[in-house]
Amino acid sequence: MSVAVRQVRKEYDGVVALDSVDLEVAEGELLVVVGPSGCGKSTLLRCIAGLETVDAGSIWIKEREVTTVRPAARNVSMVFQSYALFPHLTVEDNIGFGLVVREESKRQVKEKVARAAAVTGVDRLLGRKPFQLSGGERQRVALARALVRDPDVFLLDEPLSNLDAGLRVQMRAEIRALHRSLGATMIHVTHDQVEALTLGDRIAVLDAGRVRQVGTPVEVYGRPCDLFVARFLGSPPLNVLHGDSPLAQARPGVIAGVRPEHVRLGGEGVAARVELVEVAGSDAYVHLDLGVVARVPTEERPAEGAHVRVLVRDADVHRFDAESERRL
Amino acid sequence: MTGAAERRQVLLMLAPYVLGLALLVALPALVTFGLALTEYDLLRPPRFIGLDNFRELFRDDIFAIAVRNSLLFAAIAVPLRLGAALGLALLLHRRARGAGTARASVALPTVIPEVAYGLLWLWLFNPLYGPINLLLLWQGDSETTTAWGTQAPQWLTHPNDARAAIIIMSLFTIGEGFVILLVTRQGLPTELYDLVALEDATPWGIFRRVTLPLLAPVMLLLLARDTIFSLQATFVPALVLTDGGPPPYATTYVPLFVYSNAFEYLRYGYAAAATLLMFAATGLVVWLQWRIVRRWRRGLG
Repeated sequence: MSVAVRQVRKEYDGVVALDSVDLEVAEGELLVVVGPSGCGKSTLLRCIAGLETVDAGSIWIKEREVTTVRPAARNVSMVFQSYALFPHLTVEDNIGFGLVVREESKRQVKEKVARAAAVTGVDRLLGRKPFQLSGGERQRVALARALVRDPDVFLLDEPLSNLDAGLRVQMRAEIRALHRSLGATMIHVTHDQVEALTLGDRIAVLDAGRVRQVGTPVEVYGRPCDLFVARFLGSPPLNVLHGDSPLAQARPGVIAGVRPEHVRLGGEGVAARVELVEVAGSDAYVHLDLGVVARVPTEERPAEGAHVRVLVRDADVHRFDAESERRL
Repeated sequence: MTGAAERRQVLLMLAPYVLGLALLVALPALVTFGLALTEYDLLRPPRFIGLDNFRELFRDDIFAIAVRNSLLFAAIAVPLRLGAALGLALLLHRRARGAGTARASVALPTVIPEVAYGLLWLWLFNPLYGPINLLLLWQGDSETTTAWGTQAPQWLTHPNDARAAIIIMSLFTIGEGFVILLVTRQGLPTELYDLVALEDATPWGIFRRVTLPLLAPVMLLLLARDTIFSLQATFVPALVLTDGGPPPYATTYVPLFVYSNAFEYLRYGYAAAATLLMFAATGLVVWLQWRIVRRWRRGLG
């Protein structure tokens, strides 16, 4: 186990930020921690880094308990949403900052910086100052600075959130490639469920300071363990079917849900009218008067106002207990 | 609103300020240039005498003393004032019990009117019943020796003690620099400090590698501003506390020299020439600082 978080609790002035959090990250794994803002995911990362102390529980890195070890002695690297580059230092000095602080020899600093810069593709920017760089370049410099020290674990705190959409997709792929080539252990925090699903070996869904579910993206998306996870992942979100919905057999005390791509429009099933059609590129979101949204290929979309038939297969229906909201 | 109309409105709103600035500051400043080339006593019309005033100034021993006093004051007071403002800002930038009160008490002396502030220090520095010497003489061996055996400072009557007194009283009016540094420190990104915590920085390392370089641009501005301020702010203390004394001219600074020549000896042309020299000297000092700091910052990278 590369990183283990055991029963960690953290409060701020009586507000619980983390509540008995258990998490294990395997050697070389990329774990994405995802959740809505305020769910405690950044606090969790800061506790692992040692920037926050925990109120209870323990944190382990490489089989060593580090719960009370100061941040610098944990051998972790962090990448921040705001890049956190020093404005008065060149790219080269920014990347080498930690090495210089740790008083490594000048020759060694230069070598390691050159290597890290080559890996992240900023080797031609070494003489520039941060204000002369684009957002993507800045984040690459921040990545280079994180990997120059060869840490036991990388902690990435929403590193893509300040980038525009196109760049975000590109950097996402680059982080993934970097992770593969380095074989490094990474914990990546994000509020973006698409980022979580596409990036993670496994993802951990956090809500209100509690871990709701941990698993591979396919597991968590395909078999969400509770209603929160089911609704948080997926865009458009899961359709929640009410008791009187004709699409699923009503059962008392049960909440049924179906993903938009599993709402099939065709020749058979329940009659419905199309209220609104949103085209989102290759797919279109079809809002039906039954209170559900169907996701269909854009070229197969019905016209607004059209009458269609809707079919939901029973195998595609997720069922949750109405009381506990746990999966049945 | 169209661009032209908006421009007109902006100009209109700026007009009162610009008018005041032109009439009360720019115009007298321009007049000073002309006046410096004349002999003028307010009674007779000004008489053009070329550069005679400047020639006389360079031979004037009192002016030389005043310039030396002013530069010495700035050289000691400015670093101390900036250092105190920086130290207090770094001490008080965090949220803590009593931090608000402490911040207010650092800023407050700066808003006291200068003459009242001077009179207050006149009492504080009184060698016989002033609180400062009462404290220094506490548990002393005799009535004029301190607890550690030295003579108590003669704040207002001994030349060096008087110079020190003027510097000491200037160290408590650092509110502006303090507030600016406090706000700047609070605005520094916390991520940079998180990042340093993940490396192995000591408190001194953090100050040297993060806080100081990030505050440097503001510090440079404050340095220039405080230098200009310090070369002028000696006027009221020197007038109220020591009247330029004790002999020989221990606290006669250039502003007091200008004041005496203009309003006591009615030598307006001569005073104007001294003002211009002071203006040039101030510009030179600030320019030198700028050069030095720029070189230092380049070395930092």
